[in-house]
Amino acid sequence: MQTALIVGIILALLWFIEKMLGTAMVIRPIVVSTIIGAALGDVQTGLLVGATLELVFMGFIQVGGAVPPDVLVGAGLGTAYAIIGNSGAEVALALALPIALLAQSIKVLVFIIRSWFMNYAMKLAKAANIKGMINLNIGGLLLHCAMYFIVGFAAILFGSNAVEAFVNNIPDAIMNGLEVAGGLLPAVGFALLLLPMMTKTNVLYFLLGFSLLAYMNIPILGITLFGVVLAFIIVYEFNGKNGDSDTTDKEDEEELFDV
Amino acid sequence: MSDKRKLTKDEKKLMREIFWSSFMLEGSYNYERQQALGFSIGMWPAIKRYYKNEKDRAEALERHMNIFNTTPHVVTTITGVATALEKEASENPSFDKKIINNVKIGLMGPFAGIGDSLFWGTLRIIAVGIGLSLAQQGSILGPILFLLLFNVPHMLVRYYGGVFGYKFGTKIMDQANNSGIMQKISKGATIVGLMVIGAMTASMVTLESSLVFTIGDEKIPMQDYLDQIFPLLLPLLYTIFMFYLLKKGMKPTTILLVTIAIGIIGSLIGII
Repeated sequence: MQTALIVGIILALLWFIEKMLGTAMVIRPIVVSTIIGAALGDVQTGLLVGATLELVFMGFIQVGGAVPPDVLVGAGLGTAYAIIGNSGAEVALALALPIALLAQSIKVLVFIIRSWFMNYAMKLAKAANIKGMINLNIGGLLLHCAMYFIVGFAAILFGSNAVEAFVNNIPDAIMNGLEVAGGLLPAVGFALLLLPMMTKTNVLYFLLGFSLLAYMNIPILGITLFGVVLAFIIVYEFNGKNGDSDTTDKEDEEELFDV
Repeated sequence: MSDKRKLTKDEKKLMREIFWSSFMLEGSYNYERQQALGFSIGMWPAIKRYYKNEKDRAEALERHMNIFNTTPHVVTTITGVATALEKEASENPSFDKKIINNVKIGLMGPFAGIGDSLFWGTLRIIAVGIGLSLAQQGSILGPILFLLLFNVPHMLVRYYGGVFGYKFGTKIMDQANNSGIMQKISKGATIVGLMVIGAMTASMVTLESSLVFTIGDEKIPMQDYLDQIFPLLLPLLYTIFMFYLLKKGMKPTTILLVTIAIGIIGSLIGII
């Protein structure tokens, strides 16, 4: 009961902070799992699970109106179940994915409900009632938080035993497979990130970053700095000196803005 | 780019108000008007300054309730531009107020493009890359560093974006287009982003073959040979395969499930 309350409150609170701070990334698994871990008395597991899930969920970001799998609920509940059941990151991963997919519908539901509010918002605007508009905006956010609280609370209260029994019955072969899958899944995330960015003309930059690490083992921060320098050279030194660069610019841009 | 005009005291106060009012942009995100309610609230510092009677204020609030959507982290730049336009509209009776929403619509697309690739695609990935390795070692600094690396630039862009937007006002699009700043930023961000994603793919996707060929008495583990030719070739190929499937229009959730299936089946039959 207490655990269920804690998890429910953390989910609701993190979403509240995320949207009060203008999408500050506090609902990313690396943060969520750590906090759940700390609250349930196992920060280490939380950190490790968070690192694993962060990679897997890398590409699931909300861009535009499309609703991605819900990383907050997936990471939060996956971590909680893993810690309650004394199991590791593979179990959290196995649980977080289906949960995140199911929880996607929470957001869709909230977005629909809040669409109904918009008539009222227009009325407030027509009356220049700014206080009313601010309250409605916060109300819409609290509605979303409340949904997260209910889902988190109910899932832990009613689901823990069932989940534990289920996890204990997973055969070892499947668990090994999940570990392999855990190493592969970041590929999906990275591919999703690449989708709006990578074109035939700029695929070489991706290969460059990959090879710098694969062959030379340069740390990512170092590769980032090389990237910044290279970007400056290409954008400022070469631009305008050859006539073709403008057209490629535009192509790249269109790809980018299709997001 | 040559506008070096200093802001007055009241304008500085206005910039701070825009900054603080900008955070709740997505409080009531919805399908019908997306971020409109939050954006309209973010325009209040400007509206209450420039319009003194209720009717004008209502009209302005309603104007900004039009559907709106951009990357939350860069919204103040657009708020700043819209603020400059509202100022003009309140002082100049012949100003066509339709322009305000037209400019907003013109800006929100490009800014979503730049904002998404800068914040979601580049900055977040760098922050993850650095925070993650610490978290994997079990250090609490991991998530903390992740949040700091993301949010310090986030807050700076949020504040100075508003100042930038306001200063350039109506001219922003012309000037930015003329000097090609938008294209330069987006091209630069794409280069850095791609290199970082490439590096992270190499360090974080793991796929090794456990196949062993036996020729005569000699056992040849395939992975050893692959490593000599092209280390991490398999993760690279798999990532490009995923990219290809997405490009072909396969749904992300489908390929997630396919990947899990490949992991389980592959390890069951002993090839990976």
